Amino acid sequence: MALAADRDPHVSWAPDRERRTGVAASVRGVSKRFKKSRILEDISFDVAEGESLVLLGASGSGKTTILRIIAGLEQPDQGRVILHGKDVTDLPARERGVGVIFQAYALFPRMTVEKNIGYGLKIRRLPRKERRETVNRLLKLVQLEEHRKKYPWQLSGGQQQRVAIARTLAYKPQVLLFDEPFGALDAQTRVKLRREIRSLLKQVKVPAVFITHDQEEALELGDRIAVLNDGHLEQIGTPDEVYNQPATEYVATFLGAANLLLGVVTQGCVEIGSARLPAARETARFREGQSVKLVFRPEDICVSQDANLPEGCRRLANGVIEEVNFVGSYERLNVRLDLTHRRQAEHEPPLYQVTINTPERMTGVPIMVTRPKPKGNATRYKAGDRVAVGLTSFSVLPNYTLARQR
Amino acid sequence: MKISAIRHVSGFDVARPVSIGVMLGIMLPLVLLPLLSIFIFGTSKGLGTFWSALVAPDAIFALKLSIVTSFWATLFNVTFGLFAAYVLSRYDFWGRNAVIVTISLPTAIPTAVAGFALLLLWGKYGMIGKFFSERHQVMFTPYAIILANIFVTFPLAFGVIKPVFDTMSRSLEEASATIGATRLQTFWHVTLPSLRGAIVSGALLTFARAVGEFGSTILVSGNLAGRTQTAPLYIYAKFNEGQIEAANAIAIVLALLSFVIFSVLFFARDWLEFETQEA
Ligand SMILES: Nc1ncnc2c1ncn2[C@@H]1O[C@H](COP(=O)(O)OP(=O)(O)OP(=O)(O)O)[C@@H](O)[C@H]1O
Ligand SMILES: [Mg+2]
Repeated sequence: MALAADRDPHVSWAPDRERRTGVAASVRGVSKRFKKSRILEDISFDVAEGESLVLLGASGSGKTTILRIIAGLEQPDQGRVILHGKDVTDLPARERGVGVIFQAYALFPRMTVEKNIGYGLKIRRLPRKERRETVNRLLKLVQLEEHRKKYPWQLSGGQQQRVAIARTLAYKPQVLLFDEPFGALDAQTRVKLRREIRSLLKQVKVPAVFITHDQEEALELGDRIAVLNDGHLEQIGTPDEVYNQPATEYVATFLGAANLLLGVVTQGCVEIGSARLPAARETARFREGQSVKLVFRPEDICVSQDANLPEGCRRLANGVIEEVNFVGSYERLNVRLDLTHRRQAEHEPPLYQVTINTPERMTGVPIMVTRPKPKGNATRYKAGDRVAVGLTSFSVLPNYTLARQR
Repeated sequence: MKISAIRHVSGFDVARPVSIGVMLGIMLPLVLLPLLSIFIFGTSKGLGTFWSALVAPDAIFALKLSIVTSFWATLFNVTFGLFAAYVLSRYDFWGRNAVIVTISLPTAIPTAVAGFALLLLWGKYGMIGKFFSERHQVMFTPYAIILANIFVTFPLAFGVIKPVFDTMSRSLEEASATIGATRLQTFWHVTLPSLRGAIVSGALLTFARAVGEFGSTILVSGNLAGRTQTAPLYIYAKFNEGQIEAANAIAIVLALLSFVIFSVLFFARDWLEFETQEA
């Protein structure tokens, strides 16, 4: 069920038309401690008008805390919160005009759907007639007209969530904040609802911040994604940037699977043992001889039994197929790369110590490769096949050995 | 609720009638018969006698006094209990637990001790009472009865309301705040409706307890018929005077009142809390 494709002009309101391209909300240098432990460290990001930003991070990384600070339910120790150019850091929650959709929706149990939605207007003492019109419009928007007289406990999880959204839309919030909006729902409903919400947000054009720890959800919901790790922001960018050009190892491994190899920058190449990967552009920001990490996704690898790799695929090394698995829609290969005689970087501890019996395997490095079904069917591999391995895309990250070198 | 019996044997289970019988056999002389005897004895001389005993001026006065004083005590204790529960579950401060224990203390104190303590405080030579002129003395007036009722029923409403506050999800109040409500609006529209059931049961409990209060009332009221004599004191006084019928008529009324309150408590709870049943 798609949301009502209602083109009612009243449905959409950008708080100020000419500021459409401006910044709706920004968090500047926010830090927070609870007791002795640091929860947030110097967090800064902007949410553009009409944009949806996803805060992605593991459990306990501080996502909810950021949301609560924006909403005014928590005070930051340092830093500012700015909504539409106005510093609201010292304003209480009720004066901020922020819409929060809580994880369990927090619908008022003693009020019907109608009354829940109309609550913000009642509080603002709007005339009854105006209230009724807005509520009707919102009921239509979230398609709950026939449920208007029901109480929250009589609704399904998805319906409750729509009531929660309508309840905040009623008072035209400056920004919508969603705390794990799909946490309580089953996998199928989640997918359906996030599409609905996405199209709803495009209709009403309210900027939104979503919290999730589901990477698929993040990639689908966000115009941009901010990856949070243990209280600090690792990277913020479009889904494409964050996925294809992860700024840190954490981002690379948190969002999808990634292979990681340690190497050294040598003459515009990344040198990994005996292998040399041409990467003039990617290594430009590193100095000669610097220790780096080569990060690449399983699906960005091409393998070939003759030495001819497809166009746009840079050769990395040769390898041996160790295992072939069919995993539903794609095929997974475990390949062990021949990477002997690796030159060690300055002050670097010895790297891979793979101790398996055959001489070849002693120095080999395992990587994971995925191939789409058609490709897998076109050329079948079996364990023991020797292949050439190339990369279509990868990123080169500095290899900090100590956290404080960041 | 469906109860499935534990069966060790198929067919007729002897344990069933025996255990039910034993249970009722214990309850009968201890609980059911005393209550029944009030009604049997009270109506044995015909309804006419019962009625005239009931409408005697002092009897009517005693009933009215009990109800009025209990009403004010209930009003006070529910309001205060609500307020105290709000403060104690929403703010953390030094000595918070000590306050919680203190509020609950009056339940553990014998009512006679409570009455005596009030006399010492408010009496003519008491710590507060000595500042009042002869004409404005509180003790041995209906106000003293209210004070005694407040004291002995103090923790009841609080005790019912506080757990509801504690288990209430904070996110409801937070949601209300982000929507734009002031604290007062949030309390009125969001917090209070969720407490409806607790408030009603707290009030009924307090009222039922206050109407029946004897130990402290007899000390602080002066027990003057037609002036400071509550219904339980009336029963005691008439019984001492040998007017069993008079005592019995009031006893029936008090017993019926308790039945009504108890039934409301028992059956209305579901109705009062219907919207949150699922939660
Ligand atoms: N009121 C509080 N008092 C003390 N510690 C807190 C408080 N709120 C949060 N924390 C701590 O802050 C850290 C971050 O919490 P937060 O709720 O922001 O995490 P999260 O990223 O939302 O996690 P999740 O995905 O599990 O919801 C946690 O370690 C948590 O224990
Ligand atoms: Mg959270």
